[in-house]
Amino acid sequence: MPITRATLKRFTAFEDLDISFSPGINVFVGENGTGKTHLMKVCYAACDVTTSKSTFGEKLVSVLLPRRRALGRLVKQRSGHQKCHVAVYEDGRSITASFSYHPKSPHSIELTGTDDWSERRIRSAYIPPKDMLANAPGFLSLYESLDVHFEEVYSDILNRAFRPRLRKLENIDRKTILANLTKIIGGKVRYENEEFMLDARNGEIEFTLLAEGLRKLGLIWLLIQNGTLGNDSVLFWDEPETNLNPKLYRTVIETLLTLQRNGVQIFLATHDYVILKELDLQMMQDDNVAFHSLYRDDETSEISCKTVERFEHLHPNAILDTFDSLYDRDVERALAGIDTSQ
Amino acid sequence: MTVFCEGDLEVSFTGAISARRFDDANHGLSHCMKAVDFIVELRDRYLYIEFKDPNHPHTRQSDRRKFLKRLQTGEIDEELKAKFRDTFLYEWACGRADKPVYFLVLLALDGQDARLLGPRTTSLKRNLPAGPMIPATWVRPIAHDTSVFNIASWNSFLRNFPVTRRSTSS
Repeated sequence: MPITRATLKRFTAFEDLDISFSPGINVFVGENGTGKTHLMKVCYAACDVTTSKSTFGEKLVSVLLPRRRALGRLVKQRSGHQKCHVAVYEDGRSITASFSYHPKSPHSIELTGTDDWSERRIRSAYIPPKDMLANAPGFLSLYESLDVHFEEVYSDILNRAFRPRLRKLENIDRKTILANLTKIIGGKVRYENEEFMLDARNGEIEFTLLAEGLRKLGLIWLLIQNGTLGNDSVLFWDEPETNLNPKLYRTVIETLLTLQRNGVQIFLATHDYVILKELDLQMMQDDNVAFHSLYRDDETSEISCKTVERFEHLHPNAILDTFDSLYDRDVERALAGIDTSQ
Repeated sequence: MTVFCEGDLEVSFTGAISARRFDDANHGLSHCMKAVDFIVELRDRYLYIEFKDPNHPHTRQSDRRKFLKRLQTGEIDEELKAKFRDTFLYEWACGRADKPVYFLVLLALDGQDARLLGPRTTSLKRNLPAGPMIPATWVRPIAHDTSVFNIASWNSFLRNFPVTRRSTSS
């Protein structure tokens, strides 16, 4: 069952947000500081606790990494001791965390729905903007033994990537995706002593020598091959466009739409017009895609969200506004002060 | 005010010093020179204008597909270049090359995202050449600049020269 909804009250940048999700692809757009990453990390934390030993509160801290790992620092208003509430919903159940900013007890938290929520395991993966596969050797042991200042999404994604491959991949669509990705990245991905390698036609290439965009496709390849992105799984991908040549966007979106058609719920944060346009051009009538625009309300200055099903209805949208402005300024320059009113 | 029709599109050029259809019988050299649709003279420039309308309601699907293929393979850009250059030469020979010339192309693909016309304009600038693609050594550019519009962006930038689709306006 997919994640259906999240509510965030007085949490980080959010005063009061109530957002419903598509069971397919959810695209978040918004200017910097409108909370796209925080929202995705909250939902990811809720999924991850069903398969790990962490509590929801611990996971929120480890993926958002507030100062001194103090949960209370995630509360929006740090005066008045008002409680913040974070809830994530599936059909028929939810998990909720409530906590306040108390300097003397920065870790106190009330959790509700935990037992019910953990009954069903939700496979999930969170891909951060920066690639980690090239830096994999030694990172996990370093992360486990030392208090290094990395959000846990970085070690989590490596743990997902290191999972052994499925004995047999039955799904034809997934096989097709793997074949397409293999063609683009030039080989199959494997790891040896924590080091990822590409088995290319002309020999093996270590990931540190591979273009970062191709490493990202290699990561998707691994997550499909090892079953992380199987039916009823959830993928969170923060800015897939980072270090990816726009030529590869078509393949990325084609891959995501195919995964969505095969039961993967996807959350995507982007700043890129081409990503949005590729989705617009490739999505079919039966695809479930929701575009969420996060923005600061002019009157309240608080973050609000508008959700639409079609790309062209997305408003407000800083990305489209920027491209509009580019086109307008380009035409204005080309017309060089034309005066048609003479 | 003269209203011109180009297939299903209607345009008027209010406020221009002159506006004329260029690719009609008066051209007289259509066997050897290509021509843009309209030439409009303003106080400080000439506008060469070409309309492309694959969405004309009477256009057959097969012709629409052919047009899209020509657009995607760059054939249309080549055609636009030839039309512009031949028109420029014709006008120069007539002694009417006394002001900068701007080439405006209306690509009436209904519903096309105007943001995607930016790369198409860049490609046309490179081909003519025009705008920033004009070599620094040229003291007299052939095409001063160019821009590609859809109907909505045309009407937004060129409010005195409104374009309407006759089939929907009636």
